[in-house]
Amino acid sequence: MRPVVFSWLAWRRRWLNYAATGLSLLAMAFGLFWLLWILWTTFSLGVSGLSLSLFTQMTPPPGVEGGLANAIVGSLLMVGLATLIGTPIGIFSGIYLAEFAQQGWLGELIRFMNDVLLSAPSIIIGLFIYAVYVAYRGHFSGWAGVLALALIVIPVVVRTTENMLRLVPTSLREAAFALGAPRWHMILHVTLRASLAGVITGILLAVARIAGETAPLLFTALSNQYWNTDLDKPMASLPVVIFKFAMSPFEDWSRLAWAGVFLIVIMVLALNIMARVLFRRKTI
Amino acid sequence: MTTQQHMSKQFDIEMEAVRSGVLAMGGRVEAQLVRAIAALSEDENPELLDTIKRHEKEINQMQIDIDHQCAQIIAKRQPAAVDLRMVLTISKVVNDLERIGDEAKKIARKAARLQGNERLTRIQYFDAIHAGELAQAILHRALNAFARLDVDEAVAVYDADDRIDVAFDVITRQLVGFMMEDPRTISSALEVMFVAKSIERIGDHAKNIAEAIVQVVMGKDVRHASLEEIRAEIAERK
Amino acid sequence: MQKQETALTAQICFRDFAFYYGGFHALKNIHLDIYQGVVTAFIGPSGCGKSTLLRTINRMYSLYPGQRAEGHLSIDGEDILGKDVDLNDLRKRVGMVFQKPTPFPMSIYDNIAYGVRLHEHLPRSEMEARVEWALRKAALWDEVKDKLKQDGTSLSGGQQQRLCIARGIAVRPRILLLDEPTSALDPISTLHIEELISELRGEFTIVIVTHNMQQAARVSDYTAYMYLGELVEYNKTDIIFFKPAKKETEDYITGRFG
Repeated sequence: MRPVVFSWLAWRRRWLNYAATGLSLLAMAFGLFWLLWILWTTFSLGVSGLSLSLFTQMTPPPGVEGGLANAIVGSLLMVGLATLIGTPIGIFSGIYLAEFAQQGWLGELIRFMNDVLLSAPSIIIGLFIYAVYVAYRGHFSGWAGVLALALIVIPVVVRTTENMLRLVPTSLREAAFALGAPRWHMILHVTLRASLAGVITGILLAVARIAGETAPLLFTALSNQYWNTDLDKPMASLPVVIFKFAMSPFEDWSRLAWAGVFLIVIMVLALNIMARVLFRRKTI
Repeated sequence: MTTQQHMSKQFDIEMEAVRSGVLAMGGRVEAQLVRAIAALSEDENPELLDTIKRHEKEINQMQIDIDHQCAQIIAKRQPAAVDLRMVLTISKVVNDLERIGDEAKKIARKAARLQGNERLTRIQYFDAIHAGELAQAILHRALNAFARLDVDEAVAVYDADDRIDVAFDVITRQLVGFMMEDPRTISSALEVMFVAKSIERIGDHAKNIAEAIVQVVMGKDVRHASLEEIRAEIAERK
Repeated sequence: MQKQETALTAQICFRDFAFYYGGFHALKNIHLDIYQGVVTAFIGPSGCGKSTLLRTINRMYSLYPGQRAEGHLSIDGEDILGKDVDLNDLRKRVGMVFQKPTPFPMSIYDNIAYGVRLHEHLPRSEMEARVEWALRKAALWDEVKDKLKQDGTSLSGGQQQRLCIARGIAVRPRILLLDEPTSALDPISTLHIEELISELRGEFTIVIVTHNMQQAARVSDYTAYMYLGELVEYNKTDIIFFKPAKKETEDYITGRFG
């Protein structure tokens, strides 16, 4: 056998390869650097504010010891209800788009509208609910917050559900039909089941997204300094409290704000990891 | 007959190689038969038997080679329809050719013994020589029919073979006559009898070749059909 | 060559049959009788319409708007092209297996039971018996009997395809359509499936589309050669592969198609 000859071309190819690899490593390091910094700051500043009273006491006036209990409960209530309302609507719409309206103008129209909704700034959603619900009822309320968040959940779930269902090969659908399955039966037992992990991932990502939304809640649920589980009244939430406290000059407020940020980051991180684990296990 | 080429050029090349191998072998066998008949009709030639023996070995090797090529084609190409019929036929044809070669060698050997025995003159077994020339002619026809895959030519071989069979009967009766007239001719007459039997066999092998050709072309096994049936079949095809 | 000279019953009958994909005339003037209890293969170059023809037998095309059939197509003397035909019932009678294995995302047991549950309400013990019967028929029982609760997708490609065949026969169809069932499988799995087809012959009417001509020669009793949407030649497989009547057929099966 002849020995491999290192020509000029081979040399150039090799160095181009090194250069490209180096550049992409650099870009990755750049991105990762900020992310780690953010996480580090959140962690270092947030951990110091963590205590039992954070979960038991209400948001305090300036200068008084307090916690975030009402904001945590408010967030959990509103996010939970918004998910409960938005998810079924999103899943059914996604099913409609993927299984019934793959072609046709109606499907295209819905898909387009959904994309618009998906990329609309969340503050617009907040303003919208303010205009049609809060202004109509005459006061801020938890329900208004729930509605705004649900409106953010829906397009995300619609999109992921449709995409996940479309990943299911046509042959699987045909196989179910070939056994004499009616369409609804096929969707429920075969395609939805095949894409379940993806759909749940989509829901988790939607939850992660609304957990940190401030803008749509500012004009809808506003905030509440006191313990409140009545959704017809203004309701506190973590993002809004953070927004308010972080901008204040008071030392203890800002410490509570960092603790709140830390809680949200941990939650979002947990949801993302869950989504990832779920998705990986089901698709491979 | 399909004349279009295969999509696989290599397949065409392999088939062509086997076909021309058969024709080359046919040529060798034909030459061998010519030598054997010459040994009958010519004066003593001590080298002829050796030449024939040497060629016989080469012919045997050709049969082995061609059979191997056929097996290779079946294993590698899984031939179907006309190709399959062709490969099967070639295997049969080669077998018949090799047997014709054997018979030619036998004739040459008997001829050598007849040379040294003056009890029976060449005039007395002239009919056997004539039948040998007839066999030579029909082998030539059969090979032609194979080269061109010509059904009409192949069917003509059938007719010729019938004539050889008749000639064999005539020769047998003549020889019986000689033996009764003069018992001293018996051993020579028996030699001629064996020669005649070999010639008759050669005719049968040529006929087998012709039948195989009909099978390639028409896809019909005509081994035990009558000539009329085959003719009707050919007419129907046209 | 004379293994089955008993009279065969035509079970699937195409008469003046044509098929369209929108404006494209995909099948032209098909006349074809497919016999009960034997294996019939459709062969032909890609795009000749063999899969299209297969998919009309269970009216798979009805899923897609713009695809339509004309002429007559009957199964057991019953017209199946009419508007009032119950497709779910038709598909119970005509099972189908696809090119790529399509196990459902559920356990091996449920994969088999899925189709049965659609048409019959069996008590548990009977359902278990049915699942075992189908898996045994598909020569898969010994390999999966200890892991019926495992996901169907955890099986190997060849096993998945046999699972799909088992799923198809579990609803006890009369006809089984196989659309290139081994084209995604390795040679050993292919042999398993071919063996299986021979085992199922007689009990089911099997129609198989295949790109592999040797496979058609090996497994089928009858072969139909199609070209450009037309049925060129249809005869016993023995005849098609030894001495086809048409030159086009001979050219195709000897690899002279250009």
